[in-house]
Amino acid sequence: MGPEGEAVRVNHVKLLVGGVQLRDGVTTVTDILGKIFTRAGLFAVAMEKGYASTIYGAHQFDPMLVTEEPPVSYGDPEVDVLVALDYDSNPDAPEQPNRDTVLRHGGKLRDGGVLVYDSSTGEIPTGALEARGIQVFPIPARRIAQSELKREIVKNVVMTGALFRLLQFDSDEAYLRQLLEERFLRKGREVVDLNLQAARRGRQEVERVLEANGYQLPVRLEPRPGRHRAVYISGNECLGLGAIAGGVRFYAGYPITPASSILEFMEQWLPKYGGRALQGQNERESIRAALGAALAGVRSMVGSSGPGISLKVEEFGVSGATETPVIVVDAQRAGPSTGMPTRPEQGDLNLVIGGGHGDFPRIVLAPGTVEECYTLMLEACELSDKYQCPVFFLTDLNLSEGKKTVLEEVFRPPQVVRHGIVREEDVRTKPYRRFEITPSGISPRSVPGTPGAIFKASGAEHDEFGFVSIDPRKRAAMVEKRMRKLDTYLQEDWKPPQVFGSVQGNPVMVGWGNTRPVLEEARLLLQRRGVPVALVHFTHVFPLHRRKLEALFADAGPVVVVEQNFSGQFADLLQRELRIATRRVNKYNGVPLYPTEVAEAVLQALQREGAVVRIGGDSQPVPVEVGRNEHEGD
Amino acid sequence: MNTKGIKLWEENAVPKHRIQWCPGCGDFGVLAALKQALTELEVMPHELLLVGGIGCSGQIRNYLNGNAFHGTHGGALAYGLGAKMANPDLKVICLAGDGDTFAIGVENFVHVCRRDPDMVLLVMNNGVYGLTKGQDSPTAGLGQPDERGSREEHPPMVDALLLALASEATFVAQSFSGDVKHTARMIVEAIQHPGFAFINDFSPCVTYNRFNTYDWFRERVEHVPEDHDPSDRDAAWRLVREFARRGKIPLGVVYRNPRPKRPQRRLPLWEDELSGVDLEPVLATYR
Repeated sequence: MGPEGEAVRVNHVKLLVGGVQLRDGVTTVTDILGKIFTRAGLFAVAMEKGYASTIYGAHQFDPMLVTEEPPVSYGDPEVDVLVALDYDSNPDAPEQPNRDTVLRHGGKLRDGGVLVYDSSTGEIPTGALEARGIQVFPIPARRIAQSELKREIVKNVVMTGALFRLLQFDSDEAYLRQLLEERFLRKGREVVDLNLQAARRGRQEVERVLEANGYQLPVRLEPRPGRHRAVYISGNECLGLGAIAGGVRFYAGYPITPASSILEFMEQWLPKYGGRALQGQNERESIRAALGAALAGVRSMVGSSGPGISLKVEEFGVSGATETPVIVVDAQRAGPSTGMPTRPEQGDLNLVIGGGHGDFPRIVLAPGTVEECYTLMLEACELSDKYQCPVFFLTDLNLSEGKKTVLEEVFRPPQVVRHGIVREEDVRTKPYRRFEITPSGISPRSVPGTPGAIFKASGAEHDEFGFVSIDPRKRAAMVEKRMRKLDTYLQEDWKPPQVFGSVQGNPVMVGWGNTRPVLEEARLLLQRRGVPVALVHFTHVFPLHRRKLEALFADAGPVVVVEQNFSGQFADLLQRELRIATRRVNKYNGVPLYPTEVAEAVLQALQREGAVVRIGGDSQPVPVEVGRNEHEGD
Repeated sequence: MNTKGIKLWEENAVPKHRIQWCPGCGDFGVLAALKQALTELEVMPHELLLVGGIGCSGQIRNYLNGNAFHGTHGGALAYGLGAKMANPDLKVICLAGDGDTFAIGVENFVHVCRRDPDMVLLVMNNGVYGLTKGQDSPTAGLGQPDERGSREEHPPMVDALLLALASEATFVAQSFSGDVKHTARMIVEAIQHPGFAFINDFSPCVTYNRFNTYDWFRERVEHVPEDHDPSDRDAAWRLVREFARRGKIPLGVVYRNPRPKRPQRRLPLWEDELSGVDLEPVLATYR
């Protein structure tokens, strides 16, 4: 459908900004947009990060959905407005990279949408797009910046001004002016004025095209100021805030995408709360130092991604055996090996539930949203302290680095509770047993430096005092004590999955961690098509409470586990724990899940038992027939 | 000798008759020296954190009083680093072997030297992996001609003192556990050093290293000359090289040059220190 006769859509726009990595400042632009839209009382979600594991030169893009009310998810790939910041560095070799954004994403533009691109080094043939009713705005932003304003750096402000005009937003420049003043006033009024002039030039260019073509803009953003207090923030920043609020005062990390921004956040903020952040010389130093700090009584956390998590595996066992708590954030990216460092995946579940030799207790949590990066981290802090074992916190690239508008009411700092720490007066009358055999499996912990509560902690098997022992009875009792902590966790602290819709007699979509918003939206799409599918979504991912889950799934229809990995790691876990057959929808091409494709794939999976539907390419699900697993049970 | 003080170090420890070292093991000398040094300095056991490496030597953590930790092979220094960063009031002493420190843990050794946390590393250096029955460690070959076949399988030995100097350690000393009194002296000075203090202690393995015996060491050890300036790194380097050329082994403080440091405080860990923090300064930057 073309724009003619179509009403202007107010406060629901999906943008995509693209350009050359580093050179064009794609995320500088989207960060400014997100911040300004948030200030305007709107909701911005930019969680489909598209960049490459290089510093410079690759194509980069950052989609953003802007809405009046909090959106269910970031929506489908289709965009209303495409912003192309790229230009030819060499106009004599025009094939690259000028057209990257248009060539790669032009297909995502909806009919009647808007394309704005930097035409400084020549116009792009856009006849095919125009035939779909798409309004095309060639803006020579770089040329304006270079030759008129004499500062190339303001080219993106020209484009931002143009974009705001296209969105019919901020016509009095109030939002942009405020942001520019915050950033540049200390450099002088003339810097602010130059930027405002750049934005105005962008607007003028849009006006020129509008007049020449008689376009009617299809979208509009209207501010809704003062409705609520909100921030525009990433998942890594939220989990860092959660850690600080939850009492973490020691953080260690080694640079790795997409966990480095946790280290940066902690280096900036932990010292202001009395804590310390350490950039390890390697992944192992990081977690070892965190264990040392935890041993000294301080709540400790490390963050990394798949390759770094693999290197830390030996220390998970140390944490389990010595009962020294540590929170391990795994910002997952596509593996194996180096894999795709800038692409999301849910491929590390087996690593964190199975990594390490021998049996030891561990808890795996996976937040479903940026907000839960904060709230679930508060739980992680308490659980690691209470159960004295590694607690894993699984995000993925988009949840970690993606940003969105979050209401500030989410960030309530809790009352921190220290669990079972003995004081000098507790150990005056009887000898202190650090690894006392208890019904809950949790033993009294002490902080080194407490008179009378000296203890020996050892990765070697030990007795209740921590002295090395290979006595068979003591060994068995100690293994059982440690593993009993998981029973206690399941009884006292495990959270059942969130259920959307009715499971009874209906097909059930199952997900875990960061895919929840997309699965929720897929469920709504299916419901609209008359398919009464329920969604069961886990954030407490491991261990699983078998009895409660058996009850939940007892009368359920077919179970389809949707996850972003090849083999269906959570489906395997569910199948093993509950002895139910699962069908699977898997995507592992490095592109995030989208609601419509998930809905389609789930429909396909519902067609037959044992179905595995693999979502490949950009949109169309590819059904693949596989045999049923031998260990499936029934 | 203060026997009452020494007795204190035998509480919260494996009884003497259960100690699992071979008769005559050099580590007995280190254990005696540790007790002497800690007694002399009037350290209280509850203030002490002993971080043991993997191997015969790391077991020492359980043979005397004090809090102790023991994790992975090569990890002792990094655990110690974290504990010390969390609580500067703890006296942290890492006790490890030469395989632990210079093979699997060399990544920690080099960088902890640079970081210079206020803690001690005492390496019980015997040139072999004793616990696994005598394989070569990186310090194997002390005093032996370098003619043991291919370089790939038998590379020249790591010189622990030179590695420490090259890694910017601020205290480098050497001792021989056959001389308990001197070893105790080195431990006292290491604990008193305001920074990372490394002691390379030759601690003979009587079972698997029949070459570097007590007698072999006694013939070769020589105290660092009185006129050596331990604050001069070039002089320290020259001293190590000169002793090696003469086939001798220096005992004493080879290098000592503390760096100026800001005092650190214990990190917050109690409920009243952690609860209800004000997140406003952080949130303000995201509005």
